[in-house]
Amino acid sequence: MSVDQEKLIAELVEKGLSGDMDSINAIEDRVLRSKAKSALAKAKRAAKVATKIVPSEKKTLEVSIDDKQPSDNLNQKIGHMIDKKFPGSLDSELNDTHIQLKPDQWFDIAQWLKSEPSLHFDSLQCHTGMDVGDEKLEARYNFHSMTHDHYIEIRIAVPRDNAHIPSIEQIWRIGDWFERETYDMFGIFFDGHRDHRRMLLPEDWEGYPLRKDYEVQETYHGIAIPKVKEGWE
Amino acid sequence: MGVVHGEQMVLNIGPQHPSTHGVLRLKVKTDGEIISEITPVIGYLHRCFEKHCENMTYDQVIPYTDRCDYLAAMANNFGYVVAVEELMELKVPEKVDYIRVIMAEFQRIASHLLALGVYGLDIGAFTPFLFMLRDRERILDMFEMTCGARLLYNYMWVGGVSHDLPKGFVETAFQFLDYFEPQIEEYNNLLTYNKIFIERTADIGVLPPEVAISYGVSGPNLRASGVKWDLRKNAPYSIYDKFDFDVCIGDGGQGSLGDCWDRYYVRMLEVKESVKILRQALAQIPKDGDVHQAIPKKIRPPKGSIYSRTETPRGDLGFYIESDGSPIPTRVKMRSPAFTALAVLGELSEGWMMSDVISILGSLDIVLGEIDR
Amino acid sequence: MTVDLLFSWLSSLTSTIEDSSILLLVAIIIPCVALFLVMAVNAIVMVYVERKVAAFMQDRVGPMGQGVGLHAGKWGLLQTVADALKLLTKEDIIPEKADKFLFILAPFVIFIGAFIAIVAVPFGETVIVADFNIGIFYILAMGSLGVIGIIIAGWSSNNKWSLYGGMRSAAQIVSYEIPAGLSIIVIIMLTGTLSMQGIIEYQSGGMGNWIIFANPFAFIAFLIYFISVIAETNRTPFDIPEAESELVGGFHTEYSGMRWSFFFLSEYANMLVVCAVAAAGFLGGWHSPIPGYFDSNGWGIFWMLSKIVFLIFIMMWFRWTFPRLRVDQLMNVCWKVFLPISLINIFGVGVWTLIFG
Repeated sequence: MSVDQEKLIAELVEKGLSGDMDSINAIEDRVLRSKAKSALAKAKRAAKVATKIVPSEKKTLEVSIDDKQPSDNLNQKIGHMIDKKFPGSLDSELNDTHIQLKPDQWFDIAQWLKSEPSLHFDSLQCHTGMDVGDEKLEARYNFHSMTHDHYIEIRIAVPRDNAHIPSIEQIWRIGDWFERETYDMFGIFFDGHRDHRRMLLPEDWEGYPLRKDYEVQETYHGIAIPKVKEGWE
Repeated sequence: MGVVHGEQMVLNIGPQHPSTHGVLRLKVKTDGEIISEITPVIGYLHRCFEKHCENMTYDQVIPYTDRCDYLAAMANNFGYVVAVEELMELKVPEKVDYIRVIMAEFQRIASHLLALGVYGLDIGAFTPFLFMLRDRERILDMFEMTCGARLLYNYMWVGGVSHDLPKGFVETAFQFLDYFEPQIEEYNNLLTYNKIFIERTADIGVLPPEVAISYGVSGPNLRASGVKWDLRKNAPYSIYDKFDFDVCIGDGGQGSLGDCWDRYYVRMLEVKESVKILRQALAQIPKDGDVHQAIPKKIRPPKGSIYSRTETPRGDLGFYIESDGSPIPTRVKMRSPAFTALAVLGELSEGWMMSDVISILGSLDIVLGEIDR
Repeated sequence: MTVDLLFSWLSSLTSTIEDSSILLLVAIIIPCVALFLVMAVNAIVMVYVERKVAAFMQDRVGPMGQGVGLHAGKWGLLQTVADALKLLTKEDIIPEKADKFLFILAPFVIFIGAFIAIVAVPFGETVIVADFNIGIFYILAMGSLGVIGIIIAGWSSNNKWSLYGGMRSAAQIVSYEIPAGLSIIVIIMLTGTLSMQGIIEYQSGGMGNWIIFANPFAFIAFLIYFISVIAETNRTPFDIPEAESELVGGFHTEYSGMRWSFFFLSEYANMLVVCAVAAAGFLGGWHSPIPGYFDSNGWGIFWMLSKIVFLIFIMMWFRWTFPRLRVDQLMNVCWKVFLPISLINIFGVGVWTLIFG
């Protein structure tokens, strides 16, 4: 985009914010018009978000894990085992639905999950990302063991601006494609992945679509991208 | 035997190619006819399914699931509504369960018939394809009779189904099954035990069970490798625990365990098992009863997440749904069986010949709508 | 034969013309035009028959029409005409990067190969354009001209699929020439002549005298010949050079419209030629199966044509029933099965003739 155009768009956005939409609608060039409109939308949203930020509460581990009663729930039980084997790897207290881990020791834990005979999680059923707000992204793994027929979910939260998780692509081969897709959609980087490329979108696409703050780029190779209607009411 | 290595050629199979089963591109490095490396490139059919879901209510997602695996739309509907109901801890009336199972099994037959027929087409046999499509057409007629649509049904809703079974459906279904069962023999005679077909598929693209599990391959592809794993049996959802049927596994009947022929034949056997389930379900279905569970207009599942799996014709279809208590899902992730099946292609086809790659790809029975979502 | 007859007939009509060379020219051109018509009609009929045969085998009805207007005529009889019109009016696309001269040349080479082979095919006792004394050898030689056209087409398209198709067909056709040729040798050993009419004359006197029933080795030779020529004409189960599920269209991927239809035309012409050789060489040619029964001159054409059509029907039957072989399996069948059997066959026929002949 040339400097002139940028200046023009900035001017138009100013006007638009003050309620003058006609000057934007009057632009002849379709690409330029769509650019101006999307810039305007972005500016409006930024203004909205700025007023909404709420300080997040700091969570602390209230109960030490060893104090809790042993539970039959697998997520609890295996979380317990992980905590014993890899101290300090848990990110929050144990619960029935998932195990929350820190990313640091993830590769070793994953290897252990697969090799430990009593667990033997040989199948990575599902892997996906999640934008959980609070400036955090989460990677979620659903494991299943074909031999023992049991099932756990593991979640790893990482900061949005520095999203790095060790890759488990070499442990479960399907992790290769799953992690590429998560990188593609959420921008979580998987360190140690041997083929770290986008999966579904083109390599030169900007942004990560499934993040909640995602803005569609205005043009792709000179083609204006139509805007999506906002939400359902 | 001495092997002469010439210059490698990079060949693009697709995105427009008769046997890529959709818009798939395979970047292939070949040495003459021998394939040395194969990289699938996907995303040509990406329609932002998961992003769309974050802007719609739970009900509005259902038509989109149809369009993912467009050859087994009923099974996808089923998978999604089961997941949402599990999240809501909702029990549906018994009749609804029966209707869903009947539809899902008919869909399995229809989908397998297409898979088998198209596989024949990939190998070069044209006639079995049309024979199988002829019979698939009758199943689609029954779907049309039920909900008015032939390909994309939007039939199963959260808490029920859109319409009750029409008058005379059960009789029509029995008539079809009586007609259809002998046809399986005809397919076997025409294609399955054809010498050339066996030559082309047996011992080709052998998928060992450990590799299959590591790649998350599921459904008929996994069972062909000798792993007895079927969610309908191992983790029954809906009312599958009420029916008596076998889980068919490959046995390396014509070559080695887990080859293309096994993958083909397991599907043929599964069609027979589906007929078995259908006969039981059609006989047991309750005559009266409501086909809608009373649920609020706007579905608001409780806060939480669920990963629910169902067995579609292509394998384990997983839906990971995260709800924040609002009528709009925070995240819907679809773990599609064809995605994992395609991931294994690179490993399966290295070292085989050009024609074998087509035969391996066909035997995995992928649907690009589901892979790209 | 026919040329001589025509020439003498023409000169008896026009005794006023002194220069006989013009008459000779006319006498040559007339059968050529007739042959061209035979090929065109053959293609038109065969396309229709192929569609209908395929349809009936696949539980369909095939091309149909209500006989109203140009709606493909009654029973879809105008289907091929409509096809031909479509092909004629299609845009003629030559790829930018193709070798234009060779690209244009290739269909003609293939077509000429099929066309000149038909010259020596006998359709009746006197209906043959040129009865060479080396007729069968000539047909074999001209029949393999087509492969040059296929390689040219595959190479000049500058397309990887076409190249694959061209290379595959080169390997395939050249290989299958050998078992086909060795099976023909069985005929030559029995009849002692290379002339097509001579071979057919040998088989006069009913079905029992046909070469296919002469001895068990001849029967095997017929089977090998028939399977080999299916491979030579690129029909399923040996259609790997144009395997549409693998190579898109093989050597004719880049061709469209009329240029493409030349490939089509020559495929059917080739089928006609090879089936005519099989009919003449093994099935008694224009002889009636029962001696003295419908065995007059006019019936000869009928018997010959019906034998050819029967064999072509079997080829179609194969095509709509069988899957396709892989390229290395194809070569295995040729070199490891057909070639040894053909050689043993020749030996066997020799011994047989020595003992029972």
